[in-house]
Amino acid sequence: MSNVPKVGVFEAYARATTGPRVPEKDWDYKIIPQAASRLKEKYGIKMDKRKMIPTDENLINNLFRAGMEMLVECGVYCMDTGRVIKYTEEEVWTAVKNAPRCLTLGEGRDSRELKGRRYDDSRPPIIQGGPTGAPVAEQDFVAMHEAYAREPIVDTIVDGVMQTINGYDPRPNTPFEIAAVKNEAMMIRLAQVRAGRPGMGL
Amino acid sequence: MRASDSHEVSQLNELKIDVGALSFVAHYVLAGDIIMCEQMPILGGYAGGLEETTIVDVATTLNAFLMTQAHWHLDGPIHVRWGITTAREVLAVAGHCARAIEENTHLLLGNQYYTLAGPCTVMCLLETAAQSITDTASGRELVSGVASAKGVATNYTTAMEARFMGEVAHAVAGMDLEKVNGILDELVGMYETQYKTAPKGKTFNECYDLVRLTPSDEYMQVYKEAWGILNKLGLKY
Repeated sequence: MSNVPKVGVFEAYARATTGPRVPEKDWDYKIIPQAASRLKEKYGIKMDKRKMIPTDENLINNLFRAGMEMLVECGVYCMDTGRVIKYTEEEVWTAVKNAPRCLTLGEGRDSRELKGRRYDDSRPPIIQGGPTGAPVAEQDFVAMHEAYAREPIVDTIVDGVMQTINGYDPRPNTPFEIAAVKNEAMMIRLAQVRAGRPGMGL
Repeated sequence: MRASDSHEVSQLNELKIDVGALSFVAHYVLAGDIIMCEQMPILGGYAGGLEETTIVDVATTLNAFLMTQAHWHLDGPIHVRWGITTAREVLAVAGHCARAIEENTHLLLGNQYYTLAGPCTVMCLLETAAQSITDTASGRELVSGVASAKGVATNYTTAMEARFMGEVAHAVAGMDLEKVNGILDELVGMYETQYKTAPKGKTFNECYDLVRLTPSDEYMQVYKEAWGILNKLGLKY
């Protein structure tokens, strides 16, 4: 569908330093709400909250067109540079085309294939179990994650956040934050090993 | 971490990013890591209501694969008033966004779980079930949870909620969409009137034998009761 070069993180940053300048308040309170509202009207989008999964193909495709147009029309705001990263629709399609259709989470016998499925697929999604960023007491961290890894239906682990590290508050941008994050990864791997699933993804 | 683990980066609300996030994406890219881009659009936030939030959700999902070179995207539409992903309106955002993306692309999509009620409560499990049904029957490839009790209280999460999320996903996969929507409407109606009195539940330490790592008899009873409700709605595992 598209032959334009792929835009990745490096080009995105370059555009964040050269794109149009916009005050952040204008972005939050004018550009985003006004664009979303205009596109809702343009595509005649009306959702029924009693029907949580749509079956109307027209509604489904119009939501996609509106979302695509929102991204191309608005771009993405970089808070540190105060500028907007802009793309063309062709660039978005190039990224979509190059995105993986399938990948392997974890290693060896404990790995799982994450691959495309449709809404009516009888194959279930990957089950990623864990506290999902919720705080966990340091002394219970391994045990709690081991309990998830022991569940046969759980395919991969999503970790919690260690509340302290050696009793210290892992405040952002401090050495204790780094220590907490590294310990979290090590302790979850230990929990997976203790559950007999050393190759499990995280 | 290994390259085969999911390396996370978060977009900011709405359609925003900072240089720090781009910098660690650069590291992930150069290290050959799997990249998971997360984002939680806020219903009732900058974008506005139901339709507007869904449009923004589609836009930011697409952006994940462009700006952060994501291998897969982790959604999490969240309700501004309740701070949860299981309210009717945000389930509708997630369900509509997933169908829009899945119908038009091959992108790999996940969703994350924040319930209002906490562990060892029927309400927590019913909230979990509603989202698992929505995600599975809208074509998502991965479900990720559960941050029970809104994911803010220490140790208020257990593996039993993840077990339930998984079993419900397995049970609903392949079910006719009209039937799914009927079940969902009834199921959400069972808990959405209880938001102001939602039970915080019990901690991991109260729910598990910490030596054997087995759930308590009390939680097993609650679990059975929740499955009984789903059975009556037409869901079997």
